[in-house]
Amino acid sequence: MSVSKVQFSDEEFIEGLRSGNNEVLKALYKKHFQLVLKFIVNNNGTQEAAQDIYQECIIVLYENAQDPGFQLHCQLHTYIYSVARRLWLKQLKKAGKTFLMKEDEEMDLADVSEDLTQHLQKETDLEKLNTSMSQLGEPCQSLIRDFYVNRLSMDEISAKFGYTNADNAKNQKYKCLQRLKKFFFNTTGGVEQTQRLEL
Amino acid sequence: MNIVETFDSYLNNTLRAEEKKAFESRLQQDAVFAKAFHEHKTLVDTMAQSAKRENFKQKLNNIHKELFGENTKIISMVRENSFAQRHGRTIAVAASTALVAVLATVAALSTGGYLLKKQNNEILELKRNVMELKYSNDGIVEGITKKKTKTVYAPANLEGSAFALNNRGYIVTSYHMVKSADSVFIQNENTERSHAKVVYTDEAIDLAILKLDNTNVAENWQVPYGLKNKTAEIGEKVFTLGYPRSDVVYGEGALSSMSGYSGDTSMYQISIPVNPGNSGGPLLDEQGNIVGVIKGKITGAEATGFAMKANQILRSLDQNASDSLKTELLTPISRKQTLRNLKRSEQVKRINPYVFNVLVYKAD
Repeated sequence: MSVSKVQFSDEEFIEGLRSGNNEVLKALYKKHFQLVLKFIVNNNGTQEAAQDIYQECIIVLYENAQDPGFQLHCQLHTYIYSVARRLWLKQLKKAGKTFLMKEDEEMDLADVSEDLTQHLQKETDLEKLNTSMSQLGEPCQSLIRDFYVNRLSMDEISAKFGYTNADNAKNQKYKCLQRLKKFFFNTTGGVEQTQRLEL
Repeated sequence: MNIVETFDSYLNNTLRAEEKKAFESRLQQDAVFAKAFHEHKTLVDTMAQSAKRENFKQKLNNIHKELFGENTKIISMVRENSFAQRHGRTIAVAASTALVAVLATVAALSTGGYLLKKQNNEILELKRNVMELKYSNDGIVEGITKKKTKTVYAPANLEGSAFALNNRGYIVTSYHMVKSADSVFIQNENTERSHAKVVYTDEAIDLAILKLDNTNVAENWQVPYGLKNKTAEIGEKVFTLGYPRSDVVYGEGALSSMSGYSGDTSMYQISIPVNPGNSGGPLLDEQGNIVGVIKGKITGAEATGFAMKANQILRSLDQNASDSLKTELLTPISRKQTLRNLKRSEQVKRINPYVFNVLVYKAD
């Protein structure tokens, strides 16, 4: 077992998240899970729900911390608790549940609305992408993913998908992408306009 | 090359220089083209973000599994706050026949712990009061016994307000403050009296920019606000900080007109009571952006002030300042709206170190 630092300051956690330090991420994850678990379980949630909410909190923190200007305006556990609380409230509201919130009286609340608004906007976009991708079906979905995410070359793609040459693969990719755009932007106009454009 | 390939090549930066130039000029001129490119980029970026997010989630799941295991049940945390908190780790037990016994133990322990904690809290509060009392006593004693060693300065001819423009030791004030001054100093609670040079003036809009001689003074500055280039709107709530006396004074009100004295459109009219000494202070909107610089009021009228619009500063510098000064003054500093969504008192606390009392000395 490697010797790891037992205690990190809030600043060290943020710094570690930024630089992608796994050791720090693990320590961070360990430190605050209890807090969120307690809160969720006290408020009609299961342990699995707590895990989901907690991970979403860490994601919110992680993605916001990528901004070099990000500053914590409160203690880290206050931040996490406040985010968890908002996310869980939202989920309960969505499920149409009315309930009495059992607050942890020892915890302060921080205003995290700005960070959350960004997060939820992003969440919506990512969900839309997922839906569009499944609407796209195969082989389009894999082809697009291989090119844009896995960064395979057209030659590699053409070999993998059995196209006779890279040009055919390119054509196929073009068609797939236009369809994806149609689903994602939910318009037909934009795509047709793109097709009319020539360089 | 079809258009999608061109977009991809541009994003991957594999276009030749002249192709890139043509591409960029078309982006500028052809709105339909620009829109198509923008959509393409949005989609590609979203895919990248999605992949990144998935990776991170996977990482978190692995961590969770490693820390808390896959098949362990974590006992519900209801009512065992203090036990869990004092021990600071998960009470994880494998679902087994021992569960009932464990539950009983936990329940017993936690009840005891809860009571214990409550008592501790009460004691803690009492102790704090005693400490406070002790401190205040010390304060009084110190006040009686300690001699004041503060340097006494000659009173200035003119006093007013100013605020930091950036972290490099540049400060904004009114031109009428520093006009024909021999020397200019700034000071506040956090910053000792420091000499500043006038490096830029624009009499037409009553603007002066100072620079601290000793830039070490600004070494740790983290200016939390920026100048707002967009004009503010009538009815917007605004506030100011300034030095009508030797301590900083807060004033708030609304923006009441888009033009100032006798229709001067470089100014706003504001419903903040301003006093001699407020000149040169910052005018901020609710989000904590600088929207103006306090300038003056109509003689005799109460609660009517005027402020120069902040975008006038940018325009003036853009037209008149040398390139090197512009770079020094306007290079953006990294800052993430650190004042937004904060309570006013909290905003003021963060702005205060960057609002100064200006002391101007003249020969005659």
